[in-house]
Amino acid sequence: MWCARSWARGADMGATTQLPAELVRWREEIESRARDAGLDFFDVVFEMLDARDVNALAALGGFPVRYPSWRFGMEYERMQKGYAWGLSKIYELVINNDPTYAYLVRANSTMEQKLVMAHVFGHADFFKHNVWFSPTDRAMVDTMGRHATRMRELIDVHGQDRVDCLLDAALSLDNLVDPFQPLREHQSGVRRTLVGPSLAERAAQSFAAQTQPGEDRQSRAAGLPAASLPSCDVLGFLAERGHLEDWEREVLRMVRAEALYFVPQRQTQVMNEGWASFWHSRILTGGILNASEVIDFADCHAGATASQPGRVNPYKLGIELYRHAERVGLDLFRLRATHNDVSFIDAVVDEEFAERHGMFVYETNPRTGRQEIADRDWRRVKDQLLGDMAWGGVPQIDVIEEDGDGALQLRHRHLGRDLQLEQAGSTLAHISTLWGGPAHLLTEEGGEGRRIIADEEGVRVLETAEAPPSALRPDADDDDGAKRQQRA
Amino acid sequence: MGQEVYRIECDRARFREIVRGKLRQDLRKYLSTGELIGRQGGRSVSVPVPQIELPRFRYGDNSKQGVGQGPGEEGDPVSGEAGEGEGGGAAGEAEGQHIMEVEVELEELAAMLGDELELPDIMPRGAREVPAEGGRYTGIRQAGPRSLRHFRRTYKRALRRTMAAGEWDPTKPEVVPVREDEFYRMHRSCPQPDSSAVIFHMMDVSGSMGREQKEIVRIKAFWIDTWLRSQYENLEVVYIVHDAVAKEVDQDTFFHLRESGGTKISSAYELCLERIQSDYRPEDWNIYPFHYSDGDNWSARDTERCVTLLRDELLVRVNQFCYGQVKSAYGSGQFKKDLDGALEQEEALVTAAVNDRQEIPDVVRAFLGKGR
Repeated sequence: MWCARSWARGADMGATTQLPAELVRWREEIESRARDAGLDFFDVVFEMLDARDVNALAALGGFPVRYPSWRFGMEYERMQKGYAWGLSKIYELVINNDPTYAYLVRANSTMEQKLVMAHVFGHADFFKHNVWFSPTDRAMVDTMGRHATRMRELIDVHGQDRVDCLLDAALSLDNLVDPFQPLREHQSGVRRTLVGPSLAERAAQSFAAQTQPGEDRQSRAAGLPAASLPSCDVLGFLAERGHLEDWEREVLRMVRAEALYFVPQRQTQVMNEGWASFWHSRILTGGILNASEVIDFADCHAGATASQPGRVNPYKLGIELYRHAERVGLDLFRLRATHNDVSFIDAVVDEEFAERHGMFVYETNPRTGRQEIADRDWRRVKDQLLGDMAWGGVPQIDVIEEDGDGALQLRHRHLGRDLQLEQAGSTLAHISTLWGGPAHLLTEEGGEGRRIIADEEGVRVLETAEAPPSALRPDADDDDGAKRQQRA
Repeated sequence: MGQEVYRIECDRARFREIVRGKLRQDLRKYLSTGELIGRQGGRSVSVPVPQIELPRFRYGDNSKQGVGQGPGEEGDPVSGEAGEGEGGGAAGEAEGQHIMEVEVELEELAAMLGDELELPDIMPRGAREVPAEGGRYTGIRQAGPRSLRHFRRTYKRALRRTMAAGEWDPTKPEVVPVREDEFYRMHRSCPQPDSSAVIFHMMDVSGSMGREQKEIVRIKAFWIDTWLRSQYENLEVVYIVHDAVAKEVDQDTFFHLRESGGTKISSAYELCLERIQSDYRPEDWNIYPFHYSDGDNWSARDTERCVTLLRDELLVRVNQFCYGQVKSAYGSGQFKKDLDGALEQEEALVTAAVNDRQEIPDVVRAFLGKGR
């Protein structure tokens, strides 16, 4: 005998995503402990999934509905292989949203689930209270879903290949957004949806743009991102000013909105993971663990916070920073609310911290090609850490101007670190495509000025005497600094 | 969560399609390297593809410094792997360099090979279309074993009957199939052309065949096997090595054995003929002998013996006999000339010379391009 209900369930992968009763009890217990400790968060919805489902979600950036893209498929393939061969394992996935969604992996042990739940409450608190997250879209699950629907419509109209081409170009620039813009706007009260103006407004704008080709830049870009040049919001600039069709602009705006949503996670990786680890450790060792689970817990925790020689693990660095801050009497809750990784390290790292954790700066020995410990001076260590973290470890590219010939001029803020020129060339080619004309990028290589040009003839790198302004270089006493000319 | 997430399977399928496109583009590169050999599973090959990554602005070489943690004096090497600096990028960005392995079905690879080299499908040989018993469960009937019950049809029919009888109750949606509702899958035999083939790989392993020569043979053999496997359902491969005497060996030995001494090619041909006579009757088998050597034979008399063997015994039994001459430092290349001279008229004989790896695709095409 069959029952129609069981058929429906068969379609739903046969298993429920609700927590089993035991974990529901633990969840309540852990949540109340977290609240007692002072953590405060949106509602947290835990769902329990198979590893395969969690991998799929992780490949989609944590969101169940995204637009179709082979890149997600590639990520999924990679994660599935890693999981199948036992090389990698996901414990948890948590999404900054209201309510906060968190996914547990069904195959994990009860101890692991407890640890993950405590960890998730740490993240959830961080999402709610850290200032950098305050402008993020708290209904991002819905927004992503809307983007997906819209993208599917566009694919139906323009074809998967064209949309994919555009997405390839847009996504290779998705780290070239202004990370401070959302917060700036949020704080000045100009809260707009990150997608940009409404359809009606956009229609009006594009009508205006078509009827008044000679209008001045300021008025056309008024109210839009990248209104003023120079700007580091390359993607936003191209979305509004590139020679694109309207649907292409729309795709770029969506990509940019999604990129901006993820920016705070990059800016606060150390803080966020440190905070969650700090609390899972404190809550679990405060009476949640059974005696039989202590060893496994220690193993699991140590695995997450282990640092390989010569590397700094963000979990480890983060948790130690909070512990150090607590020791020297700083207010942890205030720290987690007001800082990002850079300012946090700036506020907390001192001589004692660097020494206690045996931190050093390494350099590549040009003779042997080996990486060697260069310095243990804590100031140098701190400088290097801050330098590496600044701008999320992404090279800074600014749009300078559109010159008289319609070429887009960009500049790399060099800060002592060269670009990988080949990659830079291909990326610039994408910029040129979206701009709809030639794109020029000024940078340096080994102290020499370089101009990369991408136009319809391809990409070439020229030597040039005009170097990007080096005023921002930290090492102003660099011996070849004198050769460099400031660009007028 | 439901089905939504499994849209990612579509993404994955599209990714694989892109990878296949890349593989097809670079097939010539794979054709002349041994990269795919040894990655062969039962029915698929795993192909290493550099991850298709989006270009981004990244830091270059001069910035390989960073912060580490651990013991050591100044000037000590940082132990462990070449470390990356803290914050060298978000996790996703540091992973761009990985090589990904993507599974490709052998059949698909063969299809790509066929496209690239414009290989014709092999034409069935005249009387050889002996129908073989094959078949699939494509039929449907009303009686059969439970294990073959057609679930969907049975359910639908039971549901229809229940509704027609007015017994359907939406609040208690039960469907109970009775005997008449049941459907079963049925086996239907469909005659198929006989599709057994045997490949004889014969190789000269005398002193003059070096590593590189064997590698070339190996790559050639891999592609030939791949192609023929796509053409025949049942493919057997026999490996024969010879110097002055011939013996049958396994695959591993075939490619790695290094003998020294003289070369008597007829020994291999004799062994091949013997095997054909004992195990592979031409009435039942498509036969493809391949012989690789550097073109030196022991004596002119032995070459004559080879020619006789080929003309009188082998060529009448096989689909095609291929001789691939690999250039070596010592080989004279005389044997190919002799064969071409003596057996010019024979259609079933293909000879080809290969000087280096770049020519492998051409040789493969020469061997397989006739569609025999």
